[in-house]
Amino acid sequence: MSGPREVLLSTHALAVDRGRRRVLSDVSVELLAGEALVVVGPNAAGKSTLVRALAGLLEPAAGEVRLCGRPLAEWPSDARARVLALATSEEEGPDALHVVERVALGRYPHRGPFQPLGATDHAAVARALQQTGIAALADRRLGTLSAGERQLATLARGLAQEPRVLLLDEPAAHLDIGHQLQLFRTLDGVRACGVGVLAVVHDLARAAEWAERMLLVAEGRIAAEGAPDAVLASEAACRAFGVRIRGHAVPTLSHPFYSFEERP
Amino acid sequence: MTSRGSRLVIPALAGALALALLLATAAGSVPLSFPGVVKALLAKLGLLGDASALGATGETILFTVRLPRVLLAALVGGGLAVVGAVLQAVFRNPLADPGLLGVGAGAALGAVLAVHLGLASAVFFALPLAAFAGALAAVLAVYFIAGASGRASLHGLLLTGIAVSALAGAMTSVLLVATEEFRVKAVLFWLAGGLDGRGWTHVQAAALFVLSGVALLVLLGRPIDVLSLGEQEAASLGLPVRATRLGLLGLAALVAGAATAVAGSVPFVGLMAPHALRPLVGPLSRRLLPAAFLGGAVLVVLADLGTRTLSARVELPLGALTACVGAPYFLLALRANEGRG
Repeated sequence: MSGPREVLLSTHALAVDRGRRRVLSDVSVELLAGEALVVVGPNAAGKSTLVRALAGLLEPAAGEVRLCGRPLAEWPSDARARVLALATSEEEGPDALHVVERVALGRYPHRGPFQPLGATDHAAVARALQQTGIAALADRRLGTLSAGERQLATLARGLAQEPRVLLLDEPAAHLDIGHQLQLFRTLDGVRACGVGVLAVVHDLARAAEWAERMLLVAEGRIAAEGAPDAVLASEAACRAFGVRIRGHAVPTLSHPFYSFEERP
Repeated sequence: MTSRGSRLVIPALAGALALALLLATAAGSVPLSFPGVVKALLAKLGLLGDASALGATGETILFTVRLPRVLLAALVGGGLAVVGAVLQAVFRNPLADPGLLGVGAGAALGAVLAVHLGLASAVFFALPLAAFAGALAAVLAVYFIAGASGRASLHGLLLTGIAVSALAGAMTSVLLVATEEFRVKAVLFWLAGGLDGRGWTHVQAAALFVLSGVALLVLLGRPIDVLSLGEQEAASLGLPVRATRLGLLGLAALVAGAATAVAGSVPFVGLMAPHALRPLVGPLSRRLLPAAFLGGAVLVVLADLGTRTLSARVELPLGALTACVGAPYFLLALRANEGRG
């Protein structure tokens, strides 16, 4: 892409408390239009807290989040939900709900409680089902789906919101390798339309392959930030995960192949 | 999106309700002829000239005893079923029931208090009004005690509901013991649940709260659906979660409180009707709530008919009858639910 890209989401010196415990401190992040930003880090590092704070679901204890240049707290909640969508792997709708109905609830921020869904809404729902590759499951009930299929339905709900910022917490957690590759291709398609995508991903190799930029979160702080291969090669990454990470150049691959060993 | 079969469920339920209403008005200790009832009703509505099909006694029974009672049964059943459906969505638990919020226990306490203070015999309509106030007070207490610890989590609400119900139950027992014996009987009748001796005043009062509450809940169908996705997803979709939940619980308490005030405790209707209909019409409120209203109405109209006709000697308590059907249903549903999870 050419020219400077718009900053969609940014934080400055953000701190977040859960209960009385500070779980995130001094976090400054920027997400650009069309960017693929991946957040990695060990368990309990504060990744999910970061995503929820960016989505406006957790009040910052210090600092602020800005969405399209405007403080997140000033956004009316429905307007925010038209610009920013969150999909996590925890979300589950009622078992008897049909996939298409679940995805259509993503149009709530556009239509509110009373306005009936129109042609643009149905088109957005159909497109989201198409993009996530679950159009064939549209008439199935959630209770009959596998965990991976339910996760794709959650992502489709987020896409049906037609956001400019897409925040994902472990979008590939329950997906087999074929669906993982398809998921990241889907995200690239969304990014091509200018949507900024920030995703928490556990699989470091997959994260490095997909992302343009990587954010390493450890013990509630940003431990490293930059090109994925550089972040993974850093001492900070080894320290955060407690493992030795080595990237091996393989002639037939565009990305290094990673190996991980426990550190004595 | 919807199979052809599920579109027929609501018309079929409406037909079943019409049939159940007619059957329940005709049957009883003094049976009225089926065509006679239909003719008399049509005449009353001004659709038929000849109104003499039942005779004077028959007409009196139909219009002052049977009809208000049967309509009240429909309102109570429909209202409780809609409340059950809403609570099941809000608590994301297919087995939630109005009783969980302390509605029944609060209403009982209110009723016993009115009887104990002698209000019930002194002031017309004091017992149902006190029951209604008790139900609302219990739900408010549950909500604010559960919410006091920061945010009202769903488990917190349910467990607080159990605690508040137990406390209200204890206070009810104490009051019952302290109440003069001749007054206790009135309260026992009410506690057992039933529609004996209810008249048009009860129908009007119940209709006002139940119908307006149900209409508002149906209107709020989409927020209910969004809330059923869970707090986090609902908030991320821009729904003001706490305000919406408080509003929905308030409306639910209003409807369930009104139903309980006129009929006493009628357990398990709010659980059974929506639980049985959800697989047929799906969980979206715009179809589930109307279906639950009709299904719950059929259920209680038939149950009330059962209380009047199953035994020739005594009238059975309505709440006991719904519990006899509802408790086994609940246990089977619980097993199915756990077997799946």
